[in-house]
Amino acid sequence: MQSSSEAASSTTPETPRARKGASWLRWSSLPTVIRRSILLVAIVLLWQIYVSVSGVSPLLFSSPVDIAEAFLEGWISGELAGATLVTLQILGLGMLIGMLVAAVLTTFATWTQIGDDVLVLLTSMLNPLPAIAILPLAILWFGLSPAALVFVIANAVTWPIAINVSTGFRTVNPTILMVGRNLGLRGFRLVKDVLMPAALPHTISGLKTGWAFGWRTIIAAELVFGVAGGGGGLGYFINDARYFLRIPEVFAGLVTIALIGIALDAVFTWIERRTVIRWGMKSGT
Amino acid sequence: MKEREERHPLQSSDGELDRVTGLDSSKTETSGAPLLIVDHVQLGYVVEGRTNVAVEEVSFEVRRGEKIILLGPSGCGKSTLLKAIAGFIEPVGGRISIEGHELVRPGPDRAVVFQEFDQLFPWRTVSDNVAYALRVTGKEKREAEAAAGRFIEMTGLSHAADRYPHQLSGGMKQRVAIARALALEPLMLLMDEPFGSLDAQTRSRLQGELNEIATRTGVTILFVTHSIQEALLIGHRIVVLGQSPSKVEEIVDVRNVEDPDTEEFIEVRRHLRELLAGEGEDVNHAVFE
Repeated sequence: MQSSSEAASSTTPETPRARKGASWLRWSSLPTVIRRSILLVAIVLLWQIYVSVSGVSPLLFSSPVDIAEAFLEGWISGELAGATLVTLQILGLGMLIGMLVAAVLTTFATWTQIGDDVLVLLTSMLNPLPAIAILPLAILWFGLSPAALVFVIANAVTWPIAINVSTGFRTVNPTILMVGRNLGLRGFRLVKDVLMPAALPHTISGLKTGWAFGWRTIIAAELVFGVAGGGGGLGYFINDARYFLRIPEVFAGLVTIALIGIALDAVFTWIERRTVIRWGMKSGT
Repeated sequence: MKEREERHPLQSSDGELDRVTGLDSSKTETSGAPLLIVDHVQLGYVVEGRTNVAVEEVSFEVRRGEKIILLGPSGCGKSTLLKAIAGFIEPVGGRISIEGHELVRPGPDRAVVFQEFDQLFPWRTVSDNVAYALRVTGKEKREAEAAAGRFIEMTGLSHAADRYPHQLSGGMKQRVAIARALALEPLMLLMDEPFGSLDAQTRSRLQGELNEIATRTGVTILFVTHSIQEALLIGHRIVVLGQSPSKVEEIVDVRNVEDPDTEEFIEVRRHLRELLAGEGEDVNHAVFE
């Protein structure tokens, strides 16, 4: 027995981590997807068991089975799909406006000193401010309308995008800029063919941060709107479900929010893999 | 001409590449009117109305097909001078003219190869780095791709044509940069210590390859270095610059000095060493690099 295990360990060189796992099903040698799936199933199972066994009030907590049911029902009836669409539309419009404002600001910041000063001042003042904090003002200016939400989102995404893109432009490797000029590139062509691709890693991370800020902000804003009695997005859906004590639907709304967050993160990761990671401009994870 | 072909069999073996570069062998003669004239050039920067001079006064000429070295101690302004010839910096005094025209701005007629490995566009493959440069300078897409393929082959990188720069070694990156510069069919190649960041072995191999390519294409080269050895191996003539604010100490003709084992080579090397030593450069450092 002992001799056979010795022989095995001498033929396969193992890392300390692998050796530790060897006593228990070689956990670390399993593929990541499998490891995470097993953990997910375990957590959901524990959750289900807790709800079934403890007899916790269904008005406070829901079991995974009930949530799955509410989730499917919500999507089949179109209620969740509708709410998701409303939220994504407002977020998309807000991000579009934010990106345009950021583009204008960074253009001025790249070409003029005063533009740079303005951008630095504005970002240092407004970036640390949680975007949701201006919601009362937005409601005052735009009323309980989608316009107020769009305004808040645009404000949330403008600053991280602007600050990242302008850093990207400012830190472009001077040698590559000289190569571009050596080829006779000037003006817009130099910006399009050299500066913009060279700043792409920063641009993508700016969009990623901007989207994450925007996503958190819109849900928060919609919850407030839900309390105020308007809207129709995901935040409103959750608040509405709570009001009518449809607790599994509250959870189903949360699951939807989490899934969309994961999906959009995956989109950005995919874009990065296809571009900056493939080009060695950013190390992969 | 005859002598040259005997010394460098590559030139006669590959007429194709001579045609590609548009430089027929008659242009490799280092004669005729100077291609580049650097005339009493002063370089510096202006701070609060006062001019801080980096290069005091430099004059020299480069003829077609010639390999000219700018040799000098670190910080003597030789790279600055190369950047001025490339058109990135405007001289505070004097004039630089190429083919009789005064320089106005950077252009692909003076293709630059830098020392830094990151001079390639990381988002373009090896072949696309070269082909893009050709497209920008007015070639049709198909023509650019074909020419890129030929120049990549010339630098021995056909096997890596589809790789991205980050997948290449330092030596390979410099080869791509050289291929890209040559593909532009420039009036002259400006090389700013292109082998300065390479290990000794790769460096010496690339020096040999550069000499072969230069013979094959007849391209005019202005090469900046602080290594005497490199200057002697590559150059036809060496412009020795002094300490900043620098002047031309001497222009040494080393056309016939090629074999490192000859008495002549050692003699010239000693002379260059003394010139640089007078300028405070660490002698041993300069010689053995």
